[in-house]
Amino acid sequence: MSDGTEREIIEQEVDDRDITDVDQPGEPDTLHRRGGPGSANPNMAGGEASRLRERTRPERPLSDELAALRDHIVAAFDDLTVDAFRGELTLICAPERLYDLVAFCRDDPAVRCELLSDLSGVHWPGGTRVEKASETTGWPSYETEDVGRFEIDYILRSITHNHWLRVRTEVPDDDDAVIDSIWELYRSADFMERELFDMFGVFVRGHPNLERILMPEEWEGHPHRKDYPLGGVDVQYKGGVIPPPDQRSY
Amino acid sequence: MSETPTPAGAGGSEVDRPPEYTVVSGEWQDLPDAVEDDLMVINMGPQHPSTHGVLRMELTLDGEMVVNNRPIIGYLHTGIEKNTEYRTWVQGVTFVTRMDYLAPLHNELGYCLATEELLGITDEVPERAQAIRVIMTELNRVSSHLVWLATGGMELGSTTAMIFGFRDRETILDIFEFVSGLRMNHAYIRPGGLAQDVPDGFDSRVRQVCRELRERIGEIEDLLTENPIWMERNKGVGVMDAESCLSHGVTGPPLRAAGIAHDLRKSQPYCGFEQYDFDVPVADTADAYGRYLIRIQETYESLSIVEQALNSLPGGPVMVSDPKIAWPSQLALGPDGIGNANEYISRIMGQSMEALINHFKLVTEGFTAPAGQVYKAVESPRGELGYHVTSNGTNKPYRVHVRDPSFIHIGALPALSQGLGVADIIVAVASVDPVMGGVDR
Repeated sequence: MSDGTEREIIEQEVDDRDITDVDQPGEPDTLHRRGGPGSANPNMAGGEASRLRERTRPERPLSDELAALRDHIVAAFDDLTVDAFRGELTLICAPERLYDLVAFCRDDPAVRCELLSDLSGVHWPGGTRVEKASETTGWPSYETEDVGRFEIDYILRSITHNHWLRVRTEVPDDDDAVIDSIWELYRSADFMERELFDMFGVFVRGHPNLERILMPEEWEGHPHRKDYPLGGVDVQYKGGVIPPPDQRSY
Repeated sequence: MSETPTPAGAGGSEVDRPPEYTVVSGEWQDLPDAVEDDLMVINMGPQHPSTHGVLRMELTLDGEMVVNNRPIIGYLHTGIEKNTEYRTWVQGVTFVTRMDYLAPLHNELGYCLATEELLGITDEVPERAQAIRVIMTELNRVSSHLVWLATGGMELGSTTAMIFGFRDRETILDIFEFVSGLRMNHAYIRPGGLAQDVPDGFDSRVRQVCRELRERIGEIEDLLTENPIWMERNKGVGVMDAESCLSHGVTGPPLRAAGIAHDLRKSQPYCGFEQYDFDVPVADTADAYGRYLIRIQETYESLSIVEQALNSLPGGPVMVSDPKIAWPSQLALGPDGIGNANEYISRIMGQSMEALINHFKLVTEGFTAPAGQVYKAVESPRGELGYHVTSNGTNKPYRVHVRDPSFIHIGALPALSQGLGVADIIVAVASVDPVMGGVDR
């Protein structure tokens, strides 16, 4: 085993210990991820303080309307995972169920989401630690994912009922990153899906005109992937260079 | 004029391929008559003065009529979303304020509301900070609408509207400079509150500007609302009905011009908007003229909100009390410019080492936000401006995605412009008020 991997493992252990030191009784969510590229120094005061804040500030529950909405949708789609954070409702579905779920949210009279407000992605590359709250002790444990993935989030807003919800699906971050287009349901998805393709390289099946939108046509790579190199700045003084922001020590 | 030779002897393919002509200026009359029936593809932009920045539109024309309009964007892409991932939460404010440069305070507000929601401190932000946020963003709405009037008027040949609009906007920018030190890109709204309190004389100065603006916007109304040329050019142009607006995600004044009174300040109030008494203007014409009327009405409503907020402006701090989050916001003017107040300096430098350490850690490393994802939307002058922020529990955002209304509205341009004349394209584009800094981000 090379020195590099040994050091990584030791750092990993140190990280785990530092975070599990803080007791987090009754932490409700099992879905939110820590770590990944750009981690802060785990010893910094703010890190502990944020855990303390999480304990002293109670989590805001879903409003009654959103809870009823959740039950209504889950009754129609029994394979959903439901997440609630800061009073926001998130429904997580498999990519192949996405189109049906969004169509249901648009057409069902009790949901009636007329607007597709937002469509965005988040890249969680392989090696990201996932926090899993253990049911027996209440202490979190951590697992490392080998396969990276994209979370793709759709914000659906209803003007009729004055509510909004988030539909999330996840695809692996390799060549299989394919989702179905919802352009048929919302014309606004045209530009949003092009942006998703441009920034993450997620292929959108069924899109009428899937091409880059913000980057030039001949651009290589997809800038919002976390493994996309940032590049440094050359300094014209004795071959000096300013390293990319993610490699700076200051 | 030159005719591109069609390749001969390709097994009859020359029958399918129409002849192509390359025409430089002044040679149009030399084109054969047969061409007149064909569609023509021309580029408008990316530097056409009436495209509001670097927007390029590829128009397919049948004579004078637009058959298709393909907007091409990205000329102003600066990677702001990516940049925020490598800066602390507070530093992110200085990035997002540069997106939609006509509504910088709305961008800051959306980002800060999302950050506060992640931190769980939404209810702890002091009332004074929320009221000043309301005053500043509503003034910003007026200044943004005035720029829209100015540029929209100029595009239709009314230089008076341009001069009036920019002159009146200047009074608001002066207030912004008075309060934050900067005319644009203020970085004034911060996670947890404001960068600093408003200076003395703020109240009277804002009231005076509100009075002046009522009069001056009245002048612009006198100039345009009943103006035959303005009505002829705007009425019935760029029609987009409610159903089409919703399908294309169009919000803000275009949606309200189609008869739907959707305003996030009313439906999902933030910063205490539920305390203020204001109307959401609606029209039923769904055209460019309706959008003009709505923007004019909105400026009056915004001025009224500003005055109400001034009347009930509470005292107290402008930053949350949690010292692990609160950026030092008690500033004072010293001999070398504005900086931390003397009492604060003497406390961290002379009395409490812990306070100095906390100050140092907060300023260099910043605070951490709990892992999770939130979406916060504010009603910007152009529509729903949403911030979709993800945290992985560190001192930097993991991902910031911005739902910019201009971006969505550009996506609706093809539907908006089909069947219009070339000259009406200018009006249709202006009526949805795209700001390219927000489109390309």
